[in-house]
Amino acid sequence: MSDRVRIKRMTPAMRIIHWATVFAVIVCVITGYYIAYPFYQAQISVEATESFVMAWNRWGHFISAIILDVTAIWVIYLYFFSRFEKPYKKLLPTRANIVEYGRVVYNLITLNRKPKGFDTRHNDSFNIVNFAILHLMLILMLFTGLQLYVHGFGSGHSAIGAWWPWMLHLVTDWTLWAFGGKVGVRVVHHALMYGILAWAMLHIYYQIWRTIFWREGDINIVFGGEKFARKRSA
Amino acid sequence: MNQWMTEQIHAAHSNRIEPREQAYYDALFEKSKARLESLRAEAPLHEGMDIHAALAEEGMDRRDFMKWASATTATLMLPAMFQPLVAEAAELFNRVPVIWTNLQDCAGNTEALLRTSAPTIDELILDVISLEFHEVIMAAAGHEAEAQLEDAMATFKGRYILAVEGSIPLGLDGQYGVKGPHAETYLDHVRRVGADAFAIVAMGSCAAFGGVPAAYPNPTNAVGVKDVVRGKPIINLSGCPVHPHNITSTIIHVILTGQPPALDNLMRPRFAYGYRIHDNCERRAHFDAGHFVEEFGDHGAKHNYCLYKVGCKGPMTFNNCSIIRFNDGANWPVGVGRGCIGCSEPDFWDKYAHERPVAAGVRMAPFGGVEKSVDYFGLGLLTAVGIGIAVHATASIMAGKKDEENA
Ligand code: SF4
Ligand code: SF4
Repeated sequence: MSDRVRIKRMTPAMRIIHWATVFAVIVCVITGYYIAYPFYQAQISVEATESFVMAWNRWGHFISAIILDVTAIWVIYLYFFSRFEKPYKKLLPTRANIVEYGRVVYNLITLNRKPKGFDTRHNDSFNIVNFAILHLMLILMLFTGLQLYVHGFGSGHSAIGAWWPWMLHLVTDWTLWAFGGKVGVRVVHHALMYGILAWAMLHIYYQIWRTIFWREGDINIVFGGEKFARKRSA
Repeated sequence: MNQWMTEQIHAAHSNRIEPREQAYYDALFEKSKARLESLRAEAPLHEGMDIHAALAEEGMDRRDFMKWASATTATLMLPAMFQPLVAEAAELFNRVPVIWTNLQDCAGNTEALLRTSAPTIDELILDVISLEFHEVIMAAAGHEAEAQLEDAMATFKGRYILAVEGSIPLGLDGQYGVKGPHAETYLDHVRRVGADAFAIVAMGSCAAFGGVPAAYPNPTNAVGVKDVVRGKPIINLSGCPVHPHNITSTIIHVILTGQPPALDNLMRPRFAYGYRIHDNCERRAHFDAGHFVEEFGDHGAKHNYCLYKVGCKGPMTFNNCSIIRFNDGANWPVGVGRGCIGCSEPDFWDKYAHERPVAAGVRMAPFGGVEKSVDYFGLGLLTAVGIGIAVHATASIMAGKKDEENA
């Protein structure tokens, strides 16, 4: 193992964000599916005044959505201002980034052909672009979800004041226009769940695949924050 | 929050009803009172039509009428002090000229007004309205009717309310719908008659958004009034049919203030379409509890459970029938045990009117063709991804190109 060096890849903050996102997405998917299609029954022997099955599902959905929203905003901040690494630099369509992207994809579809032709020590543009796609989906979820949420504020008031529904209308009413009305917004919000699930499947598979075939312990990045790489790399 | 900014944005974008100050209502009260006085000075457009006579004929007394006036004041979201003014405005209904034109629809809005065994006060008030032209219920036809329309348009130029019922077909140069002895297309007709109107009221979802004639595949390319008429105040009273009480309330608002009521982003009066069905539904407790009707006739259906799983679209529908109900408050669709089909929303026939929640509802694929639910496409996507992963994993294992320990 002497030819390996330890490389720090994720700060504690980044790992907290990652796992907060994972758990929030899981809760959002389960509760969100229940809201869209209540797939289990509340006990009918319990009076409606005592039972809050849908209400709890909605509560869980909103709370985890707020966690997602806050982490998404935090992530956007880190993309630009992180002192550790600034991922936006890998999103810019520069020549180096595009070449690296192509080489990582090539490595994947040729089942890990060598030499890789890119530096496995840092986060590559392929991964970063994928993360950006996820965050774009989450942000679209945020706008469509808040639009569905504000439908209940017909009075223009809320427990935290009139500014809240006002702001929600201001920032989310464009979705009505973009997706063809309330049903369109709801369909997009629901369909995006499948997009996020498909993304998660691919992401988990790809990171495991890297770990197995690259043999650099990539899977530890998200747990311990570090991976190994060969000293004379790339 | 800057009040002016709030109002500007809301006027354009939302269903919200702004909170008002007492001073606002005091000013409105004085203004309305002056308006009513000047209207009363004018002669009724037609003699012999009087709301109190019509009420007496049906065996209703002044007490019934005042109860109705209180309810209408509440519907319009005005403070109680407006109740006498609302009652007076109803008495002055015969000072407002209305031209009612029927385009491409089933005439269901007219039917809803006419076909009642026991007319409600709303319907009686609409009886005494000064209908200058309504081809479904008038005796004249052909050239005679045409002459009557011309006459009404000339006499009340710029003053009449044009009530439009039905959608406007644009296909075949509008030839799908023509009217009158000169076979004028609906499109030309609504533009011509609308040009001299004080305001246009689109009665029902067809006139407002195209409605049922505009449902997929919309063979006549039907659209609503707002899509073809510009530069006129348009009030969309959507619904299938529109609730008669919302018609009277809207006209009363016009009589009281001389203005169309505040509208939402679909040009519907906010007093009627500002709230969601779901938020004023008596079954809402069952929704929050998780008590759902699974199929019609089951235990839940017999115990008034929430109809969400059998397709209630109350959570996406803005209308006031869950508040004011139908047939003098007797009951309403969700109350009788079947879900709301979102009749007051655009594209309701395609997007709302099915007996499943939206996620499981049948819809067209984005690229046309098959009719499947969102979940069907979603599971298809996940299956495809799963197969892709399985293929890649198998190939990777077989190729076995692991990086060597000491590469
Ligand atoms: S019956 Fe419809 S409107 Fe009433 S609570 Fe259930 S989903 Fe909402
Ligand atoms: S319950 Fe829904 S479908 Fe029925 S009249 Fe009211 S808005 Fe229309």
